[in-house]
Amino acid sequence: MKNINTLKIIVALLLIVNATNVKAQIIKAEIRATGLTCSMCSNAINKQLKTLTQVVNVETDLNTNTFTVTLSKDNDLTPNVFKEKVEKAGFFIGSLIITVPTIMTNSSAYVFVEKENTNTEELQIKILDKGYVTDKEYKKLLKSLKKIETYSLNKEGDYHIKIIKI
Amino acid sequence: MKNSLIIVLLFVMQKGNSQELFVVTDPASNVPANSLGVNIMQSAFKEKFESGYNYHFMPEITYGLNKNIMARISAFISNRSNQLVTEGGSFLVKYRFFSTDDLNSHFRLAAYGRYSFNNSDIHQEQIEILGHNSGFETGIIATKLINKLAISSSISFEKAMDNKPNYPFPSNIGNNATNYTLSFGKLMYPKKYTSFKQTNINLMIEFVGQTINENGKSFLDVVPAMQFIFNSQARLDLAYRKQLSNSMFRTAPNGFYLNLYYTFFNLKK
Repeated sequence: MKNINTLKIIVALLLIVNATNVKAQIIKAEIRATGLTCSMCSNAINKQLKTLTQVVNVETDLNTNTFTVTLSKDNDLTPNVFKEKVEKAGFFIGSLIITVPTIMTNSSAYVFVEKENTNTEELQIKILDKGYVTDKEYKKLLKSLKKIETYSLNKEGDYHIKIIKI
Repeated sequence: MKNSLIIVLLFVMQKGNSQELFVVTDPASNVPANSLGVNIMQSAFKEKFESGYNYHFMPEITYGLNKNIMARISAFISNRSNQLVTEGGSFLVKYRFFSTDDLNSHFRLAAYGRYSFNNSDIHQEQIEILGHNSGFETGIIATKLINKLAISSSISFEKAMDNKPNYPFPSNIGNNATNYTLSFGKLMYPKKYTSFKQTNINLMIEFVGQTINENGKSFLDVVPAMQFIFNSQARLDLAYRKQLSNSMFRTAPNGFYLNLYYTFFNLKK
């Protein structure tokens, strides 16, 4: 009997571990950085992003300062990691679009600014919070998203999102 | 001729961040956090009252403590006493306290403080704590980047002290000054980027002025420069400094700069 109980516990534990394993991950991030036009500056961001061990590849478009970051399958990165890295290089994020499994957006950390019905497995979402858009865009969003109370709170770890592509 | 070519080449190899990585002034932007910039600065200025050039060799290392603060230490070596002698050193901290960025543009403000010590003889009224005087300097810098053009301006207060142990600051000349600079830098090449490996070429022009606060004696210099950036990591500047106007005693106002700069990204992950 004791053995069966132990077995049950093990199974339960395994399930929990498994559940954590299927925890949704960011698949890809497309970062557009602001405040730079020189390739040495872009390289600073490129090198910062590459310090993340969970980053598989960084593709850079030097003319638009867009960094397409491919992430490993088991990564646990959150959008604020990209913000920190770009700011460490001395610049800011002008736009961050992430590709995520749709189930990830069910988490309480993500707030849709407009209701969308989706039944695809993956979504491309744009983060609209302060620090993830240009200063100008943020000012506009503050007005247009007035009815979403949490938006102006700028709570760290909360992401207000808009679907770009289903 | 051969010698001047070598000097020019050496110069081409000195200082570094692209359009706003000026030769004689610093922009309001800092080196990236956890990155180390190594700069080998050399300058050769024509002596006015004796033959030859006053040569200075100034290695410096700059480290980004975080996204807003960087620190730099420099050493000053010169041939002032007819052989290469280490005359002093310097410590600088710069704090970027304001930044507003948009796509391909930014405006930044920074404050800085520098302390230098030097044991060489004091031989001119111009106050220069980078390689000549002991003393300190504190100021603010504003830098605006619009697409491929960077414009930067600074104002600072500089005070000279005794060049210990042998050369007290002369009491008959003013020991503090106001410095002002205005710099322009433009990315000339490439017109369109294709890779990090592409060499970038920047053209710069800088205006550097000083007024001794006590007596109003002043100078204004212009510094045109050409800058190459290799592999998005190394920088080479070649510049010429020319006096435009002057009312103070200076021993070697005109000369060349050569900077060689290399960035080691992310020393700490």
